[in-house]
Amino acid sequence: MPPRPTDSTPERPDDDRVPSTDPEPGITGEREGGTGSGSAPGPGVDQRVAAVRRAADGGRRWRALHVAGCAVLLAVAVTGGAIAVGGAQDRGAGVDAVSAAGALSPGDLARGDLDAGIASLQKHLRAQPKDFGSWATLGVAYVEQARTKGDPSRYPQAQRALKRSLGLEPGNDQALAGQAALAAARHDFPGALAHAERALKQNPYNERALCTRIDALVELGRYDDASKAADTADDRRPGIPVFTRYAYVRELRGDVRTAREVLERALNSAHAPADVAYVATALGQLAWNQGEYKTALGHYARALAADDAYLPALEGRARAQAASGDRTAAVRGLEQVVARFPLPGPLVALGELYEDRGADGDRAKAGDQYALVDAWTALARAGGANTDLETAMAAADHGDKKEALRAARAEWDRRHSVHTADALAWALHVNGRDEEALPYARRATATGYRNAVFLYHRGVIERATGDDRGARSRLKAALDLNPGFSPLGAREARTALKDLEGNR
Amino acid sequence: MTPSFRTGAGRRSIATVICGALATGGLAAAGVTALAPEEASASSHREAPLISGTPQYDNTDVYAFVSPDKPDTTTIVANWIPFEEPAGGPNFFPFAEDAQYDLRIDSNGDAQEDLLFRYTFKTHTKNDKTFLYNTGPVESLDDPDLNITQTYDLELIKLKRLKAVSKTKVADDVPVAPSNVGKASMPDYDTLRKQAVHKLAGGAQTFAGQADDPFFLDLRVFDLLYGGNLSEVGNDTLKGYNVNSIALQVPNSFITESHEQPVVGIWSTTQRKNAKGYFSQVSRLGNPLVNEVVNPLKDKDKFNASTPRDDAQFLENVTNPELPKLIEAIYKIPAPAEPRNDLVDVFLKGVKDLNQPPHVTPSEQLRLNTSVKPAAKPKRLGVLDGDNAGFPNGRRLTDDVIDASLQVVEGELLGAKNDLGDAVDKNDKKFEKSFPYVALPTEGSRGPLAKGVDGGNDVRSQLGDALQPAGAEGSDDMRLMAASAGAGAGGIVLIGAALMWWRRMRNRAY
Repeated sequence: MPPRPTDSTPERPDDDRVPSTDPEPGITGEREGGTGSGSAPGPGVDQRVAAVRRAADGGRRWRALHVAGCAVLLAVAVTGGAIAVGGAQDRGAGVDAVSAAGALSPGDLARGDLDAGIASLQKHLRAQPKDFGSWATLGVAYVEQARTKGDPSRYPQAQRALKRSLGLEPGNDQALAGQAALAAARHDFPGALAHAERALKQNPYNERALCTRIDALVELGRYDDASKAADTADDRRPGIPVFTRYAYVRELRGDVRTAREVLERALNSAHAPADVAYVATALGQLAWNQGEYKTALGHYARALAADDAYLPALEGRARAQAASGDRTAAVRGLEQVVARFPLPGPLVALGELYEDRGADGDRAKAGDQYALVDAWTALARAGGANTDLETAMAAADHGDKKEALRAARAEWDRRHSVHTADALAWALHVNGRDEEALPYARRATATGYRNAVFLYHRGVIERATGDDRGARSRLKAALDLNPGFSPLGAREARTALKDLEGNR
Repeated sequence: MTPSFRTGAGRRSIATVICGALATGGLAAAGVTALAPEEASASSHREAPLISGTPQYDNTDVYAFVSPDKPDTTTIVANWIPFEEPAGGPNFFPFAEDAQYDLRIDSNGDAQEDLLFRYTFKTHTKNDKTFLYNTGPVESLDDPDLNITQTYDLELIKLKRLKAVSKTKVADDVPVAPSNVGKASMPDYDTLRKQAVHKLAGGAQTFAGQADDPFFLDLRVFDLLYGGNLSEVGNDTLKGYNVNSIALQVPNSFITESHEQPVVGIWSTTQRKNAKGYFSQVSRLGNPLVNEVVNPLKDKDKFNASTPRDDAQFLENVTNPELPKLIEAIYKIPAPAEPRNDLVDVFLKGVKDLNQPPHVTPSEQLRLNTSVKPAAKPKRLGVLDGDNAGFPNGRRLTDDVIDASLQVVEGELLGAKNDLGDAVDKNDKKFEKSFPYVALPTEGSRGPLAKGVDGGNDVRSQLGDALQPAGAEGSDDMRLMAASAGAGAGGIVLIGAALMWWRRMRNRAY
């Protein structure tokens, strides 16, 4: 696993660093601004400011402008940081050139050292800018790095590298698969699917295209197709990338046993720390979803042993700690997570834990977390990422209900997945439109996917529409499945269930 | 998920909060707009890994030769897991437990395997309280200090028309020679190697374990294919790296069709257990460099999943190869006329009157005429240099297949004499005189090699012989030093170790 920025000083002094070489050989004048510490805006920020302003316009609350203003600040800081961080890492771990062209240190790569790999690819491409295959590989590596580091500044870099590849060799399957991965990362799932299909026409065995096709179909809610795509991928390119997706497709259809078996098999064959961390975390999430907190904690420990800074594992562990009653550890863990990555999911979870704790000042603390969700959302939009589902989920409970509904509708128009159905149902509910919400709530729970939040939402909506029996059975199912699914939600569910029992 | 909660009044201003968040470094640490790692609450978008190295399943090379010290037997060597660094990183390179490692033999030239030797591995840990590979000096394979060991079973499957007619366990729980972690841990590695050679019934023997990577080449030659000017060549870029080898020595009579038909076809495959629990073929290798030189990029993955009997689908890649055209475009060396039936002979049928079986069905296999006696003084260019005991009649550890393949592709067999090559003519380490022949692995006590490869001066020469691209200075020099691996169609070449890694990893990551 690549090192991640973990220090918590804002003004990270980068003066002690040699400025990195241009991460994109052959591309000059296209780098994003940022000089290393989050203070000096560089070129490219203007665009961002404009984008943030655009995002801030239109029907947001009075504080949106505030938020947007801060988002600009953040954007500058963030990109500055990104470049600084990226730049520092782009220097590579002292990978010496094997050749005039600069070559990879293959041992690093075989061990899955992304950073060293990227550094040597860059070096190589500076010497051999016509190598379309390496451009494509570099593009995919940037997408992967954006995932592992949470560094969105990599997306435009990925885009440029892939474009270079296609310019040199139009229609090559590696670059098409890279474009598919990039589109998926940016939540453009129809685009991801189209690119993946094009890549597979060229090369039916392209592992990345096979994987991204599954991702796209899952996100579009086409579960039968996703299942077929997973079977095909498994026949053609068995391996950790396919196994993790195969397991998720099975889980979404309610086949927890198969999902677990496949992930366990994947874990047994995982060697690279990044793979171990990912797969163990997936197992942890699967266990958590079934309310098996102790098992989940075991998996998270395994993930963190492989990579002690792996955020999804830190977050998962905190959630499992909260669910098993260790609120102190959970709060501590989530505070760590949001300090580094203030994403809507952990922000909301932390906010709810503060509320649940209810100590002096906790209310304000919780409010701060929810405010940050808004800031994050504005920023993400400025960066071209589509975050409507996250927005809807956070806003429905802790923000602007109307905005939540708008966002959920927009996302539903884009894709009909169990997640978008649940988000829309809940957004309708908080806006008092329960009759409308009911079919979506049913749809969210129709595939057999065992998710306590969906069941809880459906139960609450059923109760609001007067279906007490349905509500009872759904709320009970949610609590039976995963009694600690959310600090506040679980409490609400228990209260509602008691009321319902009392009314019988 | 509280449906009704609204944050109260009296909060700090949002700006303060956000700037506070900034101050904690979280937002400044290049992460705020990251698309969620997968658990933004009830968020659906899981971002799973796209790049996962799988070197344990990737065949790198296959060798087959009449055993020089036992000419009535044939030795097959197949390698996996390239670029094992003797130091730095994990120093233990296991075979995969969810894989089948197969050596396949076609005795009658019908493109279907008649014999299949299947290796399957198990890992054993003596003390799972420690992550250490060894807890003290290791003096023998059963030394209690060797904490993590592997053993393998060897199964022989005989087939008729692709149906198994018999399955025999020919060896059970044979120890694997360990990764060489250095003098302090393994003072006498040679003993461990010898203990790992396992005798089988009927004069056969088997070996599995670490070895020095016998493949030698200078990756920088590929720069030429992009019109790069070569400043220096002649370093064995794989020097100092180890691989995992499987070696098998069997009597010729056991694998040949008959005394009158001594030509066998050999290739290796790797199958990996998939999510459904079946084994899928993920790697295939016979002749060296075929999947790099002959097949265009888009076919490489398909080739790895394919079988010789379906090779008609790749015929055009052989008859109309792209590499010569590429070389012509850059270096103005005329490409030989197509269709290249000379290449069909080398890659798909075997060379007539040497290693072509009668009534051969064209398919890609490493073909060996077991009746050709081993050469006392093997020549690195094998058949091209009049030594019929070498490549492309089988492949010896010392055969310079980069140079030989390149010369063949450029028409050497058609009388277009050329001296193409990469200026690396031999491996950096001496091969052993007896089975399993592969050199002992480079040991881990010589310091990290993480900085690529140490550039020794072993074969640095011919600097001036590097051909420069047309239009570059000195392009009147018409000798080319370019190589082959990865130089597939359409100018696809990944260079340097990128290429190498890619060649070995089938472009799964870098």
